[in-house]
Amino acid sequence: MEKAQVPVPIGTTVTVERLGETMEEMYVNMGPQHPSTHGVLRLLLKLDGEVITDCIPYLGYLHRCHEKIGENRSYPQIVPYTDRLDYLASMSMNFGYVLAVERLMGQKIPERAEHMRVILGELQRIASHLLWLGTFGLDLGNFTIFIYCFREREMILDLFEAVSGQRLNYSFYRIGGMAMDFPDGWVADCRAFLKWFKPRIPEYDALVTDNILFRKRLQGVGVLDPESSVNYGLSGPMLRGAGIKWDLRRNDPYSIYDRFEFDIPVFDSCDVWARFLVRRQEMIESVKIIEQALDRLPAGEVLAKMPKTIKPPAGQIYARTESPRGELGFYLISDGSPKPYRYKVRSPAFCSLSAVHEMMKGCLVADAVAILGSVDIVLGEIDR
Amino acid sequence: MTPDEILGQLKQKFGDAIGETEVREVEVRLTTTSEHAREVCRLLHELGFEYLNCLSGADWVTHLEVVYDLSSLRHPNKAHVRVKVNREDPLVRTVSDLWRAADWHERECYDMFGIRFDRHPDHRRILLSEDWVGYPLRKDYADERMVPYTEYGMEEKIAKSEAAKGAAKAPAAPPPKPAAS
Repeated sequence: MEKAQVPVPIGTTVTVERLGETMEEMYVNMGPQHPSTHGVLRLLLKLDGEVITDCIPYLGYLHRCHEKIGENRSYPQIVPYTDRLDYLASMSMNFGYVLAVERLMGQKIPERAEHMRVILGELQRIASHLLWLGTFGLDLGNFTIFIYCFREREMILDLFEAVSGQRLNYSFYRIGGMAMDFPDGWVADCRAFLKWFKPRIPEYDALVTDNILFRKRLQGVGVLDPESSVNYGLSGPMLRGAGIKWDLRRNDPYSIYDRFEFDIPVFDSCDVWARFLVRRQEMIESVKIIEQALDRLPAGEVLAKMPKTIKPPAGQIYARTESPRGELGFYLISDGSPKPYRYKVRSPAFCSLSAVHEMMKGCLVADAVAILGSVDIVLGEIDR
Repeated sequence: MTPDEILGQLKQKFGDAIGETEVREVEVRLTTTSEHAREVCRLLHELGFEYLNCLSGADWVTHLEVVYDLSSLRHPNKAHVRVKVNREDPLVRTVSDLWRAADWHERECYDMFGIRFDRHPDHRRILLSEDWVGYPLRKDYADERMVPYTEYGMEEKIAKSEAAKGAAKAPAAPPPKPAAS
């Protein structure tokens, strides 16, 4: 392959003709060390004055050979590695992976474990959206919301700590069920949290949703039309913010999501504001799901009887779940041995980030932070 | 449209170019050749598969493979297309003009497997640095830093058997004296 084209060195300017006058275009680096890239991401912005004319993302700063490591580990050994994919939603990552292996094996899991999975998965969704809302506010200069969101997220982390002993990387899901049961009194604690959490949403509304300064920063910024959104493979809140009612929990139900009543929030203005509203609404819907699951939580085993060495039959599977960031897919090829022959992660934020340059074209530099924030990237799963 | 109808349309148009086929619930699984990969994808795109879920590679030692996972937002069908690529000069026509999502996925596939995509708009490595040598996800890629997989309980077995050998030759060292408190 020929040598890759290296763009113009940083700091140089290119002269362009526009409206009969000679202007200068400039390349500016955003990142890799930038507080609003939420990790190590480098964006090369091409500017015409204050307007972004192009944006080239450079990734891979956090690449850790996740897929190669996966090929050299047995199936249960991979679970802790999936925690480190999206470290803000480890439960959801565990969920997606164990589901893929179970489908490959045709394994049924106990009812109680199914309910536990849904409860923890949805709590994780709330925690992830809270962290997103907090840091998004931080990017846009609203520090107060950051403190409020972290207060509630801390309570969820305490619940997770009581369950698994960990605050971030839980490794709590097992192939065939869950590692252990909820500790005594956990269900009551969880209900108490939900009771506390529900009135907090109006509090956030007073701080950000009804704040005219906040609205003006978001409305009409980072627009991507629905056709392009589908074409770029966007998913989750990004797609629902483009007016497309698509949620894998409803459209391709996995686990026991088909038994719960919840709405899918859709907003069709296709901008950063719509994505913000979708995530805000999703937290309320997740509370509904958790309440229903807690009410119906059956007694019984939490781990099915599994062989000591897990050897799925030879075959291929692409299993997808709805993580807080969108469609999380695991593509596994098994050759009947105790370790996967091929292990591939389809990361939702990877696809969303590939469309960022479309959203940024024609926006002001100051909006770049808002657009990148609205994509909700976690570099751990993008770079793998 | 049922998966069987989709398969029928594909077979009617491409005949022998469609290799093994299988219908699993709502999913159509098929293999095809690298010459026909793009045309098959285009027909599937026209049949309503407007969403590219995943594009990945695989190394089967004798040959490489590109795998397309497609779905639709309008009907429940899925498609799983596997394309054989020869290992010496792996080249497939890009599908990034049908699904722009394929752009970065193909770059990743090139990065990890060295499969080149003809007429790709921005053919560069994506996750690894530009000067990286080799394609890490190929099975013959060697790196001394990789930790190989050992069977469950294998390390203990080896340690035990070595301890047994050692015990036959020389008596075990006396246990360390407890430290004076």
